Amino acid sequence: MPAFGSFALILALALSAYCFLAGSFALRQQAVGIPSDRLAETARRAGIATWIAVAAAAFALVWAALNNDFSVAYILHHTNRDLPTPYKFAALWSGQEGSLLFWALLLSSYGLVLRLRHKVDVKLTAYASTILAAVQIFFLLLLNFAATPFSMVRGAVPPDGNGLNPLLQYPEMVIHPPMLYLGYVGFAVPFAFALGALIMKYPGEKWIHITRRWTMVTWCFLTCGIFLGAHWAYSVLGWGGYWGWDPVENASVFPWLTGTAFLHSVMMQEKRGMLKTWNVWLIFCTFMLSILGTFLTRSGVVSSVHAFAQSSIGEWFIWFLGITLVVCCFFYIRNRDHLKSEHRLESLLSRESSFLFQNLVLLAACFALLWGTLFPVLSEWVQGHKITVGPPFFNRVNIPIAMFLLLLTGVGPLLAWRSTSWASLKRNFTIPVIAAVATAILLMVFGVRPWEDAAHFYSLMAISLCALVTATIVSEFVRGGRVISRHTGQNLLASMVTLTRRNTRRYGGYIVHFGIVVIVVGLAGAAFNQQKEQELGSGERMELGAYTVVCDSYSQDDTANYEMNYAVLNVFKNGNPLGQMFPARKFFKASQQPDTIVAIRSTPLEDLYIIYAGLNQDSNKPIIKVFINPLVSWIWAGVFVLIFGTVVAMIPPMAAAAVPQLQTVRAVSMPVPVRSDPVGAGD
Amino acid sequence: MILALCLIFAAGLLVYVFAPGVVFERVTDKSRLAFLEERKQVVYENLRDLNFDYKAGKYPQEDYEPLRASLEAEAAEILAEIDALNVHPTAWSPSSL
Repeated sequence: MPAFGSFALILALALSAYCFLAGSFALRQQAVGIPSDRLAETARRAGIATWIAVAAAAFALVWAALNNDFSVAYILHHTNRDLPTPYKFAALWSGQEGSLLFWALLLSSYGLVLRLRHKVDVKLTAYASTILAAVQIFFLLLLNFAATPFSMVRGAVPPDGNGLNPLLQYPEMVIHPPMLYLGYVGFAVPFAFALGALIMKYPGEKWIHITRRWTMVTWCFLTCGIFLGAHWAYSVLGWGGYWGWDPVENASVFPWLTGTAFLHSVMMQEKRGMLKTWNVWLIFCTFMLSILGTFLTRSGVVSSVHAFAQSSIGEWFIWFLGITLVVCCFFYIRNRDHLKSEHRLESLLSRESSFLFQNLVLLAACFALLWGTLFPVLSEWVQGHKITVGPPFFNRVNIPIAMFLLLLTGVGPLLAWRSTSWASLKRNFTIPVIAAVATAILLMVFGVRPWEDAAHFYSLMAISLCALVTATIVSEFVRGGRVISRHTGQNLLASMVTLTRRNTRRYGGYIVHFGIVVIVVGLAGAAFNQQKEQELGSGERMELGAYTVVCDSYSQDDTANYEMNYAVLNVFKNGNPLGQMFPARKFFKASQQPDTIVAIRSTPLEDLYIIYAGLNQDSNKPIIKVFINPLVSWIWAGVFVLIFGTVVAMIPPMAAAAVPQLQTVRAVSMPVPVRSDPVGAGD
Repeated sequence: MILALCLIFAAGLLVYVFAPGVVFERVTDKSRLAFLEERKQVVYENLRDLNFDYKAGKYPQEDYEPLRASLEAEAAEILAEIDALNVHPTAWSPSSL
């Protein structure tokens, strides 16, 4: 099977090279009026065949893992005989070569869907297919010449493998990397369409319409990947938090920020023909940041908890990023006339300006994150020694930016396109502002002291702004629901459902905003975290907040895969028993690495988070660390709301009801009779 | 065995790629009319949204009237050009896009 896998990768490279070369040649021929439909069709089919070949290679690698074929170096280094089957399957993305193969597989899968759906716009899809093939060539070159997954072990084949990194032996790690990669790779599709549209000077904004679902699916996968990673860090790394501003964590956020900006600003292009250059560069940057994220994850250029991914393929990525930038710049300079805006910004008080501000804020956040992440590397190049940038920098810079962004999330939907009057502002903002101020007063009444502590200040700000955003979302649903209710006689709730079905994009977007609100409330809880560490022998107790933890016993366990130390703790809240918790520490035999198993008791109000930090060799007692983390479960709940909103936004809208009143469009300066097409209300 | 498998696999893919049959989609340029139809739909959607928001009480009359007038003017221009193209289909060149 390894030989077949290697052959499939070479074949995939040849096919994607043909797809690129034949596709480019066919498009060139068509541009000068020479028909070359047959050649274009073979290029498209070569793109589809690339998927078959890459999938065959991935299958060969998984087959080798499942059959303990330790003659393959990758399988030897990332699995062992006693590894559970799901983790053997996950070996595909657990190491350098496998994860690059997985990247190539996902890219070819996206390409497959794109090429099968080519009838949506044959010419534009042909351009996008050719560009995707170029990206595919890069990853297949890597897989064939720099990071080959089917390298054979030299000399005698060991009887067992080195095993999988213990940090990766966690159920969420089986799905976190695929989600993240689906996000990273997916941005290649809107990038390919945007670059294709620019190269061919595509008339109109239909390419945005075509790529809208691609972008949303990709964004949703990336969001899931980021939060699965956060949940993994919370449950596995055992330091009490979910986000440590680790460089590889940050890398996943770069394309998320620019992708979020793109999802919003394309609306201005669709509706008003504005920000064309901005949007094209946003998606170019998003794609390049996805590549940069993969580079940071895979190259080991920055110190990270993701040290299991270090290697020396960085130069390949730098070259690829450089070539991509040059190609984008070249076509932008050559065809920039095509990107002229059709309208100007008419007022600072308008939906357009709120999108623009929101975009600038997202980009500022991205730049701050990028700067902080790459600063250690840059400082080492310039000064010869590494200057580390820690969480205080990221918190100081990004929290105020996030507050402003949250404010714009509340303000934006209430502003009209083109311009908004003060009367309209007063009409729309009275209730949300009252909600925000009332929330702030309530929080202060319940003990939040913003004047004493910056964490309390930001927490109060965040939750008050969340109230403002929630009020705007609710008012949007209620107002729209009332209009539907007046015309259909449905009750308000049913009307709001109908409203959402009629404009899934807009109201699905509001649900996504509400998901963000729920997540921010969860994040704001971090200001009230408490923690305590103590040695805890049998029968001894420790107290933190309303909780009492009593050590019932502590012991050891031994399995084929690992040794484990654990404690049995009885937990009480306000004197009432809550049950037992079992924090543990494993030591994996094959990889000779330790791992923390955190015990978490989660409620909507707070998490009780207990770690077995180690065994004191002098007293032979376990060291137990207890954290109270308020509102953490809101973060995970918010992600589900966000996913639901994204799914709603992707559903095609229900056809609008018959227009009750026909209105004639007035003629302007054109001396041609104007057709009286109905332009009715959306109700 | 592996060699045979590789050869069969490669042959299958090459046949699929290079024997596309006789029926395939033609690559054509988008017409000005199609472009205008897309624009018309966008302006109509903007009008629908504006009307709906007005009925929902989101905007006062003094905001609504000028916004509606400008969108209707935009729609009228597009409709006029669509009608002109339908009457004189040859009066269009790709450079006008």
